[in-house]
Amino acid sequence: MVPEPLIQALQMLTVLCAAPGISGVIARVEARLQGRRGPRILQPYYDLRKLFAKETLVPHGTSWVFLAAPVGAMACYLTVPMLIPVLTSFDLPLGDMGDILGGGMILGLASFLVAVAATETGAPYAQLGASRVKTFGAITEPVMLFVFFTVALVTGTDKPYALAATVRASSEQIVRPAHLLAAAGLLLVILYETGRIPVETHSGTNEFGMLEEVRVFEHSGPFLALLRWGSTMKQLILYILFINVFVAPWGLAGDRSLLAVALAILALLGKSCVLGGVVAVIDNTFAKLRLFKITEFVAAAFLLAVLAVCTLYFGGG
Amino acid sequence: MNVVLVLLTTVPLLGAAVALLGHQRATETVTALLGAGSFGLAIVLMPHVSHGALQFGFLRADAVSVVFLLGTTFLYAAASIYAIGYLRSDPENTDPSGYSRRFYLGLNLFAWSMMCAPLVDGLALLWVAVEITTVVSALLVAADRTDSAAEASWKYVLLASAGLGLGLLATIVMYYAGSTTLGQSFDLAFGPLLKAGHALPHTAVQLAFVLSIVGFGTKVGLFPVHTWLPDAHSEAPTPVSALLSGSLLAVSFYAILRYYQVAVGTLGPRFSGTVMLVFGVLSLLLAALYLIEQRNVKRLLAYSSVEHMGILAIGVSFGAPIAMAGVLLHVIAHAAAKGNAFFGAGVLVRKYGTKDIAAIRSGLDVLPWTAPLFLFGILALSAFPPFGIFRSEFQIVAGGLGSGTHLPAVVLVGLVTLAFFGLSIATTRMVYTPGGGQALLRGEPSGWMVAPMVAGILVLLLLGIHPPEALAALLHQGALELGGAS
Amino acid sequence: MAPTVTPPGTYAGVANVLAVLVLLSEFAMLRAALLRAQMRLYAAQSLLVSVLAAVVAWGRDVPELYVLAALSLALKVVVVPWVVMRQLRQTRTEIAGSGVLGVASEVLVAVVVAVLAFFATSRFHIASPALPTTALGLAVAVIAVSFVLMIVRRDVVSQAVGFFSLENGVSLASLVVAAGLPLILEVAFLFDLLVAVVVFGVLMRVHHRRARSLSTEHLTKLRG
Repeated sequence: MVPEPLIQALQMLTVLCAAPGISGVIARVEARLQGRRGPRILQPYYDLRKLFAKETLVPHGTSWVFLAAPVGAMACYLTVPMLIPVLTSFDLPLGDMGDILGGGMILGLASFLVAVAATETGAPYAQLGASRVKTFGAITEPVMLFVFFTVALVTGTDKPYALAATVRASSEQIVRPAHLLAAAGLLLVILYETGRIPVETHSGTNEFGMLEEVRVFEHSGPFLALLRWGSTMKQLILYILFINVFVAPWGLAGDRSLLAVALAILALLGKSCVLGGVVAVIDNTFAKLRLFKITEFVAAAFLLAVLAVCTLYFGGG
Repeated sequence: MNVVLVLLTTVPLLGAAVALLGHQRATETVTALLGAGSFGLAIVLMPHVSHGALQFGFLRADAVSVVFLLGTTFLYAAASIYAIGYLRSDPENTDPSGYSRRFYLGLNLFAWSMMCAPLVDGLALLWVAVEITTVVSALLVAADRTDSAAEASWKYVLLASAGLGLGLLATIVMYYAGSTTLGQSFDLAFGPLLKAGHALPHTAVQLAFVLSIVGFGTKVGLFPVHTWLPDAHSEAPTPVSALLSGSLLAVSFYAILRYYQVAVGTLGPRFSGTVMLVFGVLSLLLAALYLIEQRNVKRLLAYSSVEHMGILAIGVSFGAPIAMAGVLLHVIAHAAAKGNAFFGAGVLVRKYGTKDIAAIRSGLDVLPWTAPLFLFGILALSAFPPFGIFRSEFQIVAGGLGSGTHLPAVVLVGLVTLAFFGLSIATTRMVYTPGGGQALLRGEPSGWMVAPMVAGILVLLLLGIHPPEALAALLHQGALELGGAS
Repeated sequence: MAPTVTPPGTYAGVANVLAVLVLLSEFAMLRAALLRAQMRLYAAQSLLVSVLAAVVAWGRDVPELYVLAALSLALKVVVVPWVVMRQLRQTRTEIAGSGVLGVASEVLVAVVVAVLAFFATSRFHIASPALPTTALGLAVAVIAVSFVLMIVRRDVVSQAVGFFSLENGVSLASLVVAAGLPLILEVAFLFDLLVAVVVFGVLMRVHHRRARSLSTEHLTKLRG
């Protein structure tokens, strides 16, 4: 029997340790799809190690916020895994300290901190990225809210564990239009939040086309490493939300035995890699949208989420 | 009588077939004969429905449908005679035989679809017939192949089709309402639907009724979905304009009346009457305002059609039997008067080569027959005695006052007066004001174009001074049917 | 907050998903800029409606609906797009043209309209044995959005497609409230649609011949 606090910690640690690896897998699959050999899967870890070894440079005229933001963001990303079903299908003690809305707000806080740090620098690219992200965020955050409303209407609670349990309990939940719409809307938001095509090129050098990546341009050394690490963690957290709450909440540990927990970790990694693969395929299938077309993309996500709530609220669908 | 029903719903197809052969003289003759024949058949039908409905297969005729049939067939006859002169005197026509083939094919099919609409049994078939009238008439509006005709026909077909989409929805909702009491195999036939009456679910019938007003109202030209109407009426060939205004609008109004009949049976007159009243008053108001500042003679008449459709809707909303009889009489009288006005306007337009009211002057000097007949037509439209519309509007207002709805009746009289100013100012200018017409030779373009106008005035006088007994009985029975008894 | 909504059965779920897809294809039409894309979306939407008819036929045991599904498949998925594309082949135009508003604003407007439609439908309390009421709300939303499409787009093809998809919305509604409608009437409706399509095609060509484009922006001669 693994004690509950340990499982709780394991949830956090799994996300912390696995996140860069998932990014590595995606990069690898993407390269393969393009006919390249691609970087090693472990490459993100090497990058992080290299960055941690470098010195920190701070632009002129920045305050303490500039350096505090990466740490704060990291703290946020470490908090969220305690709230969502990462490894277990049952409630963990700290899972009650925040609902799905709380988790969303903590993620939002992290994004806010990064944006504040970016504007602090006064550097054009970083500010550009930050302001763009916030502009489109005006639509994506309502989308998240509507997705959460859908969860709340379906389960009567606002806890991610409950929805996962509902999905597991009946196959009928899967064919429910509200559920599918919310899942699709969430997927679009994930693509947006993790900076994937068709929103932006993840690994490019064209600063004008970037939203997420460009915000961290002024950071360096360990702080840049924290930001990079944090963004891979955000990606994994969103994937987990998508997989373990909406699409495939199977393979989670049903009890506290060591074997079940170990299997759950492996299953989680496997499922995340599959989703990463799907994202890589999407990346390769579509072209990047022009900046002004991104509103159409987020508007589509908004449409899906609103319809999800409507079908539920007005028709019981 | 079944033979008459079948004949009425088939003979115009014969005209269409002859038109396809392409011999212009033969087509003209056959179409004119068919038109006159249809009118005769409709008259024959009159006494047989004064006591109850005729039913034959999926055809059904009762007093209400025969009233609308009378208006339509009269205009069919008049327009087909007028068309002979209209086509022959067209100076700009470069491809006379092709044009006449298209025109007569469309005219006959159009008349056929409009005669089918009141004779088919059931809301579903009624919708089908009305949709056919739309597509055929849209092609006729485009027949002149000018830029503005293309524009008008596109606007018309799009708006009317979209409206009829809602009409289809109304049909389906009404099926739902009917199937709750009559079972799944119910095919929307009038008889069972009207009998089921009060047993139908209220919300569904309300929904169907409102949808039908908006949907079919698009084709009636009720505010705010009237916008296609002036365009289509002004750009279509004149005989088609007359049919559009006098028959097509009426046939669409007939569809609304059928829904009204069901709605009254289920919900009582209050709800249905209020809805009709709102749409009627708004349409009448809009038309009266547009009539005052109108520069195009055919658009002037088109807005006058909106006005009269508004009067019909208000008349129905009063609900009193005398108002209902007035409404039905108004349908026939309006067909005759509007036909007359359009025919006259068509001659003016042909003679002066323009639709601009300001450019048409001293009509009395140039057109010794048409100008006075046109003037009479306009006076009839403005409800002057001794013409038929005076009687029908008098009955409507009397019904309104009698049933205690004073304010709408007063509003009706006021707005009709306003419309009269607009119409009469424009008309007297065209007919009396000297100037502009001196360069033109005195004389009518064609005698064929004058004859239907004379007939129209005679009908209007007959309706106004002393309607025949058979017609009075028919109107009485129709008013009873619309009052909720079937 | 409403209490937990019990999940509908698998049949209702599948039917609702199909209805939702019909609505989504309507939204996609708002976005599509190419003529071909418009017609393909229309064909896809009609396919969805036909499949839904077959699903109702199977799930509620209404054999006539199989015939209807087959007919609407043949007419709306194959014949209508073929007729329209044929009519348009001579115009040598690829791009249908843009709307009055930006795509994102159009979608947001349409979302508002669709939600209103949903809200209105839920007030009528029309229950049907054939399909869940959600599908009726979705059908009304399709109709409402098709009106948005006809209003905001400024070219004849999009407007015509708007009308055709309006009819799809009505078909969807008729599956919900009038699944038992006698087959002969349904067939009459379908053939009427076919006639309308041909006329739309003819008028599109007339328009193109006169205006040398498919845009309706210069249709401003007739006023007042």
